[in-house]
Amino acid sequence: MQHNKKRIFYSKNLEMNFGGLYALADINIDVYEKEAVGLIGPNGSGKTTFFNVITGVYKATGGAFYFMDKNLLGKEPYEIAKSGISRTYQSSRLCLDLSLLDNILIGMYNNQTAGYFSSLFNRRRLIAEVRRFKNRAVELLNIFNPELIDRMFRPVGELPQIDRRRVEICRAMAGRPKIILLDEPSAGMTPDETKELMEDIKKVRSTMEDVSIIVVEHDMSVISTVSERVIAINFGKEIARGTYEEVSNHPEVRKAYLGKEV
Amino acid sequence: MKSRFNLLHFSAIAILEIVIFFLVMIFLNIESVWTLIFLLLAVVGVVIFAKIYRPQFESMTRFFSDNRPTVLGILIVLLFLFPLISPLMIRQNTYWLLVLVQAGIYIILALGLNIQLGSTGLLNLAVAAFYGIGGYTAGLLSLRLGAPSIITLPLAGIGAALFGMLLYVPLYKTKGHYMALVTLAFGYMVVLALDNTEFTGGPQGLMAIPELKFFGYSFLTKPGGLHFYTNYYYFVLVFVLLAIVISYCFYNSWVGLTLATIRDDEIAAKCCGVNSHVWKGISFVTGNVMIGFAGAIYAHMIGFISPPNFHFGESLLIVAMVLLGGLDNILGIIIGTLILSILPEKMRVITEYRILIYGILLIVIPMFRPGGLLPFKPRLYHSSVAEGEGKGRRNSDATQ
Repeated sequence: MQHNKKRIFYSKNLEMNFGGLYALADINIDVYEKEAVGLIGPNGSGKTTFFNVITGVYKATGGAFYFMDKNLLGKEPYEIAKSGISRTYQSSRLCLDLSLLDNILIGMYNNQTAGYFSSLFNRRRLIAEVRRFKNRAVELLNIFNPELIDRMFRPVGELPQIDRRRVEICRAMAGRPKIILLDEPSAGMTPDETKELMEDIKKVRSTMEDVSIIVVEHDMSVISTVSERVIAINFGKEIARGTYEEVSNHPEVRKAYLGKEV
Repeated sequence: MKSRFNLLHFSAIAILEIVIFFLVMIFLNIESVWTLIFLLLAVVGVVIFAKIYRPQFESMTRFFSDNRPTVLGILIVLLFLFPLISPLMIRQNTYWLLVLVQAGIYIILALGLNIQLGSTGLLNLAVAAFYGIGGYTAGLLSLRLGAPSIITLPLAGIGAALFGMLLYVPLYKTKGHYMALVTLAFGYMVVLALDNTEFTGGPQGLMAIPELKFFGYSFLTKPGGLHFYTNYYYFVLVFVLLAIVISYCFYNSWVGLTLATIRDDEIAAKCCGVNSHVWKGISFVTGNVMIGFAGAIYAHMIGFISPPNFHFGESLLIVAMVLLGGLDNILGIIIGTLILSILPEKMRVITEYRILIYGILLIVIPMFRPGGLLPFKPRLYHSSVAEGEGKGRRNSDATQ
């Protein structure tokens, strides 16, 4: 089913060793264009570590990972972000004191052309650019929650959890990346909010048609509605892959989640 | 948004500002302790009044912010007129002129530190050291080489920048409190080095540094019978305005946004594509250029600098100015700096209690206003950015 699509990301024997503890051992994950992959696994299985490794926050101790056929192992986070991978975080990493607009604008950091000296000597160009980017921020907020547009110049810290997550997703989308990594988007949400959030993730895919998504999630309902393909890992190793039904009924996965065979 | 010129508004603002202007001059004349204490209580009263009648107070501040060009224009005209009027109004005119010039130098220093501490979150405890490096660079160049002011001033900024780059090499590996410790050590090293080097005059420092001189105009000439400090007053005023414009431009641009994101969450900034090491370096060096430049003006004006001028206490004072005024808020920092540089002079009459009141102020204000007198406001970039869809500006004015 994947053969007619282009593979844009894959990791090869990826390994992350924290002083003897293997948070990732031999991870081989591939992502094709325009698809959504769910990544599941019990606590401590290495899901978030995987995200931290492929965004450069941690430096992998072994293996390699390729994005658009370029090895990104050992690259700095800003270089990886530049190549087109953006992410959200399990516990929100927004700048709470800064306004919504600021938080979304920084997501477009790589698209800016007005630099240090333009801010002093070429204000006209800078302002034109900021205005253009602000319109994109309005467009993005309009997809998720039009009410947020009126709060554009208010600090993010005033928003409820779900809106903060939306702003974070907007920030990740703003720079038009090729892959968006969503790290437990439903963390800290009520069941109703989680439902809204699933709609939001679907909206991401309908507005940015050529983007691929990797979702790490504990909430199985999110995984089953959002992702087309699921990979389960435990103790840093892959234990199953396939459709949601295949993976959720896999004996290894049930064992990992429930502790014993059922 | 763009309102036409409104004569009524213009004259109202002009009259108000002129009244405040004369009140300030009367304030500078007051010498009685009891009047000062009464004034202090009056300020507290006004603050409480503003809290009670908040809506009215807010509509008033909105009136000023809507007419910002008028307010600033009249203010700048009044500041330029000050040395002409002050001999008629103020008894110790020369003394207060010097205090104001010194306050202006502190504003440049505080705005320089604000780029580091306020915008980027780099706690630089070696401000005084960079201030000194600027001062000594200018002093040595003009004393030993006879360099003209037009060369010593920019080179002082560049000198401070070079030392800043040098210090940034060990600095960028450290974070938070450790970064502050490295700068603290550097500050002490600079003072010790100046104290023990023959070339820089040792503990005696540099004496008889020539005054500023541009195109044959010496800053010691008395323009129209006024004191020669008037020259420095105008010179510093121009550079304070320039420092404000530069700070404003940085704040309302990608630079300010990038630095603020690094300050609030460095990992998030990196994952958005920001090379945080480079940007922190840019911020550190930019701030040091302003600080070093201020040092050069000081050295030329006073004519005598020695290591104790640039001791750690001086750094703390400048850090306190930024913290008191409000991190990353330009107007707040100017107010904070004016309070901390003019109030102690005013309180010289109560000599022994001066430092005590000063200390109490520094303890009490952060308790009631942890973000400083004026906490920072959302970045608007430019009035045209807030137009059209997302009229958040109106909204923000109404709620804060």
